[in-house]
Order: sequence, then structure tokens, then C-alpha cells
Amino acid sequence: MKTFLTRAALTLVILTVVGFLAFLYNIPPLFWIAPETFGADMRHAAPPVDGIADPARRAIAERGRTLAMNIGCTGCHATNGPQGPDLTKYLAGGGTKIVSERGTYVTRNLTPDFATGLARRTDDDVKRVLRSGTFPDGHVVPYTTMPWANFSYLTEEDRHAIVVYLRSLPPVTHKIPEPSFEPVALPPGAVEGIFGLKDYGIN
Amino acid sequence: MHTRITPGRALVLALMTFACAATVAALSPHVRAQRGSASPPPPAASSRGRQVYETHCVECHGESGKGDGPAAMSLVPHPRDFTSGRYKIRSTETGSLPTDDDLLRSVRTGLPGSAMPGWGPLLPDDDIRAVVGYIKTLSPRFAAERPEPIPASTPVPSSPDSVARGASVYATLQCSKCHGEDGRGAGAVTTRFEDDWGFTLHAANLAEPWTFRGGPDAADAFMRFRAGVSGTPMPSYTGTATDTEMWDLANYVASLRRKPVWEMNADEVTTFYAQQEAEALADPVRRGEYLVDILACPVCHSPVDKQRRTLPGMRLAGGLRMQLSPFGMYPTGNLTSDKETGLGNWTDDEIKRVITKGTLRDGTRMLPFPMDWPSFSTMKESDLNAVVAYLRTVPPVRNTVPRLTRTFLPVYLWNKFEMLILGRDLPSYFYAGNAGATGGQ
Repeated sequence: MKTFLTRAALTLVILTVVGFLAFLYNIPPLFWIAPETFGADMRHAAPPVDGIADPARRAIAERGRTLAMNIGCTGCHATNGPQGPDLTKYLAGGGTKIVSERGTYVTRNLTPDFATGLARRTDDDVKRVLRSGTFPDGHVVPYTTMPWANFSYLTEEDRHAIVVYLRSLPPVTHKIPEPSFEPVALPPGAVEGIFGLKDYGIN
Repeated sequence: MHTRITPGRALVLALMTFACAATVAALSPHVRAQRGSASPPPPAASSRGRQVYETHCVECHGESGKGDGPAAMSLVPHPRDFTSGRYKIRSTETGSLPTDDDLLRSVRTGLPGSAMPGWGPLLPDDDIRAVVGYIKTLSPRFAAERPEPIPASTPVPSSPDSVARGASVYATLQCSKCHGEDGRGAGAVTTRFEDDWGFTLHAANLAEPWTFRGGPDAADAFMRFRAGVSGTPMPSYTGTATDTEMWDLANYVASLRRKPVWEMNADEVTTFYAQQEAEALADPVRRGEYLVDILACPVCHSPVDKQRRTLPGMRLAGGLRMQLSPFGMYPTGNLTSDKETGLGNWTDDEIKRVITKGTLRDGTRMLPFPMDWPSFSTMKESDLNAVVAYLRTVPPVRNTVPRLTRTFLPVYLWNKFEMLILGRDLPSYFYAGNAGATGGQ
């Protein structure tokens, strides 16, 4: 009887340890989800443009929606929740922090919130970032941190469409820390460090 | 040419320089005496300019001003090399330096159709003047030569007659060879060129004046015909056409303007997008190149040096090392059409599967980041086909990229423990250098 109990306890401990290691190994279950599901999530996450009254503007916003989805703004500008990216707060930012010897950047809140988002910026301000990586205060974000050099290839009309779409998003109040220009040390040979699991905004 | 330095001119310049230096030397003791202190001399005029330059300009134009900043290799058109002293947007004779006003205008209003923003709303005018002063010190030409402004000429006001005459000037000067019969590239021999430095540039689409670097007005277009665009295939037509003919041509070009999407009504927008769609289907390679650029594929799929500049000739050749915590070291793939080391032997479906499902040829699943295949899967089929069509045309670059290296299992489990239980966020890194091997056969 005693040996049975010992064995049972031992088995339980081993099972727990193995189970825990399996949990560590497999969570987040990135490879257990069908690839199609990821894509469908992305498509559904982007809010539709039905709310726009002016039909011309609505058509342009629809184009912007497609571009924003295709380009993958959410890759960095998502907001993270406890279970990973919270796509209901579409493009509210704070999901990625990038550090380098040029400083620390947290992805901005792209929703049209007045206090914390792009509602306080003019269309020209937003387009300037997408074309030149230049913020309204005149500082230039490294092109590796935000790939604006590539977005400079957007036609002016497609860039306009993206801005029109961003203007139509449901506003989310999500304060993002301003960039800091304090150099951050990196391992030898590294050019940039990317953090992306927590929410780096200030709620 | 107009600005050849003759021995006589050189002598005059030398004398002037000497005279200036002598005056400054003679005056400076008085200045110091007036200040009555031994404080260091006030900073040179360019030091403020240099500071502005280093804050705002180096990401594209580089520390040395050679147009070789970190972002430079990713930009079309390529950023200006200030050390050459050659400028495209001038109101001065061919081969001449630009005037200060030319430079100030480019900095203040920016260069539409490029990544150069207008700094007018962002910087105090003193800073803009200072940085222009600094830029001029980067080329010895500004110390040795004077700009030769083009004399003012009487504009020909636009009228149906002038536009009609301009159309025949357009034909005579064979503008259509580069800009197309319609000004939009239709029937052009090619619209893609190299500038004198070997960098790609595109002939202007004359229906889209909001992309004209030198400004959208007929007067701006006239000046480009008159002055030429240095370093590009666009010559000056001085001597070939009269000023009046060039004004007519400018009026004709202005008449080619189409409505931009932000001025259209709903029907026009629908028609415009349908037309763009048809053009994309007719020229999938061009559409695919556009997509590859705006999807930012080259940012990760091109190795960079320590200054984050793309290694020469390695665009899309892969080999950028990414240490993805906690998973392992992932080098980016070679997307060129090389048969052995690139995508040359992949089928269309295999390429599309990686882009939309993150699944490699051998069935290996990829992480959903930083290669954002979940987002790319929202692309429509015709766009995916276009991306494939373009990648097939990327010249082969031999670069054998190693397979990924997974993190040693116990370390991986420990890292996962840190992340999931201790709530730490472990950074991922990307590294300078090419992980691939370019040699061999």
C-alpha cells in the first residue's frame, strides 16, 4: 500500500512537471491555430467604413482599409492585452517598443482620439510621417524603427486613403509614452531591439 | 561651359578672398575689445546649420552629406549628394549652382514625390537658412563659383492656343519617349532610368503635378525645361526651343493634370479605382513592385551594415539575422530569382503559401511575426499574383541563407518560464551583416 502511494505520488509529480514543460513549450499555441484563422482574424479586426456618410470619402476609406490591412499596420500598432494582441482596440498602439542607440520608441495610437491619438494631428502631419518619418516636432524616426522609407513609395493618393481610413476608426483613449532619445545598449552587432509582449502604453 | 573657372576669374576670386580675410583680421581685435572679454569667438555661421543638419537630415543624406544615410538605399529618388554640388531643382543655367532661394525653397516646401518633407512648418526660418548655409559648405563649388540665374522671361498666359502650340512642342521635342503620348507613360520607350550616380528614377507622370519635385505650376515646369534637371536624362531645352515655346509647353503640361482622388466625387472615385485595377492587371510586375515596396519586404529581406544601410547589391537577397526571443535565430530568406538560393525554383503556389499562410515549402510553420503573413493574407489574389510576378523579375543574387537555429531546449523552456510565469518581456534583436554565403557555385 505504501509503495503504491509513493508510486502514485511520484507519477503525479512527473506528470505535473512534464505537463508544465509541455505548457511552456506550446504556449502561446502559435502552431496549433490554422493559418487561415490568423488571416480571418485580421480581416475582421479592421473596422468597416460604413459609418462614413459621404460616399466619395467612404470609397476612399475602403481603399485605405484594404491598404492598412495589407501592409500590416497591426504588426506593430496593435494594443496588447493579457492574451496577446487585442484586435478590438484596432491600431491603438503601444504593442511594440523598439530600442536602439537612437532611443526608445513605442508604437503610437493611430485612432482618432483627441487626447492620445491622431485627432490632434493634421492630415499633413500624418502624411509626413508616412512619407518622411518626420514627426510634427521635426525629429526623424529611424527608417528601421518605422518603415517610412518604404511607405514613401505609396502614391500620394493611396497615402491619402490610409489617412482617411485612420480618421474613421473608433477612437480609443490609450496614452503612449513620447519617444526618448537616451541611447539603449544592445548586444554586440545588434542594430535594434524589439519588445512586443506587453502593452507599453499608459492606460 | 558657363561656369568654367578661367585663370583671370581665379585671380579675382583669390584677391577678393584675401581682401575679405584681411578685413576680418583687421576688424576682429576691435570686436574683441568691445566685448572686453577673452571668451571664445562666436561659433561660425555654419555650426548652427550643422546642428540642424545632424538632427534632421542625416537619416537620408548621411553624416558626410554624400546622400548615403541609413535610409538612402531604400529611397527612390535617391537623396541628394551635397558634396557633388549638383542640384536638380534650380532656377539657374545648366551646370550652374542653384541660388540660395532655390535651396531655401526645396527645404521649406520639400520635394513632392520624394521622401523630402517641407521643413517650413517644422523649423524656424533661421534654422532653415543655417542648414542651407551648412549644406553649401559640403561642396567646394559654392566657394569657387557663383550661380548664374536664368534671366526673367515673360510668361505666356495659358490659353487654348498656347496649349495647342505646347502640344506640338511636346511632339517636336519628343517628350513622349520618356513621358508617354499621354504624359502618363503610354507608349514611352521606357519610364525607368538611372541617374548619373546609377540610382533608379522614374520619368515624371505629367498628369500628376502634385508629385513634381520642383512644384506644380506652369512657371515651375517652364523652369525645368529651361534649366534642365542635372544628373538625370531630363536635359535643358535652352537652344533647342525658345522661351515662348517652353512656356507653351509648360501650359500644355499643366493642361494634362487629372483630378486627384481627394477632389473626386463618388462616381469618379469608383471609376478611378476600377481603372487602376485594370492597369494593375495589365502590368502585374509594376503592381507587384509597388506592393513589395509598400509592404516593406526589403526592410527585413535585405541585410544591412552597422549604420543600417542596405549592403550594396543585396536588396531582397535575405540573410538579415533576427534573434527572436525565445524561439531562436531566424535569418530572412533570399527573395531574389536565384534558382538555388532564392525563389527561382519555387512554384507560384509555394511563394503565395509563405506569404499568406506562413508555411514553408517543407511544411514548416513560421511565427506570425515579424513576417506578418496574417496581414499579408488579406491581400486579394490578383495582388498576390502581382507580387509573385515581380519577385520573378528580381535579378538573381546568390546568397545561401542558413536554416534557422532554434534556441537550446532548456534555455527555450527557461525563457518561456520567464515570459509566461515571471511576466518578463524578452527583446528580439536584429543584427548587422549577412548571415548568408554569397560565394560558391
